[in-house]
Amino acid sequence: MDDLELRNLVYRRFVELGRAPTREELSTDEAALRRLHDAHWIVLEPDRTEIRMANPFSAVPTPYRVEANGRSWFGNCAWDAFGIPAALGVDGHISSSCPDCGEPIEIDIVDRRPEPAGTVFHVAVPASGWWDDIVFT
Amino acid sequence: MNLFRSEEHVARWLDSRGLKAGATISSAKLGELAEAWWSDRLADDWRPRTRAESQAILDRLGLTGEFWQLP
Repeated sequence: MDDLELRNLVYRRFVELGRAPTREELSTDEAALRRLHDAHWIVLEPDRTEIRMANPFSAVPTPYRVEANGRSWFGNCAWDAFGIPAALGVDGHISSSCPDCGEPIEIDIVDRRPEPAGTVFHVAVPASGWWDDIVFT
Repeated sequence: MNLFRSEEHVARWLDSRGLKAGATISSAKLGELAEAWWSDRLADDWRPRTRAESQAILDRLGLTGEFWQLP
């Protein structure tokens, strides 16, 4: 299995399982996962060879829960949450809350468009620094 | 990269943390961006985009200026 095949397997298993696959479930080794991390194809935990992100999917709970296709995942951020229905090519529902006031934000993605409109997306870090600290970004 | 109820909520949140404003776009624009950025992610023939291809997505959506320049 080459690196691209392994990368595709990570994504396929993430979708099937609703969580990150383990190294054993991928039948691969640490060095191969590290190569995917270094290529920015996935993100590993900083202190171990476990998958933290296969963007837009998050391996850990976040404030951005996404339901689609009868399953649920967490997006790494709002952009990624919108990206999960886009990647799956289906409608979806995003549950989050406003970081300022804590009020729930519930958004349906219908035919690739968010409903209701009105919420806004704020990006704190300029694009040039997105990969400097991807977990923070 | 967070969702807020409105721009007023963004401003208040930034102020309460002493943070500098980044960029704010509508959820509709975010939907367009997500579709353009992520829709190929599970394709069997996925391949990594070049920097120029990623920048072209941002440019096409009007996300221009220094803030949106990829490294």
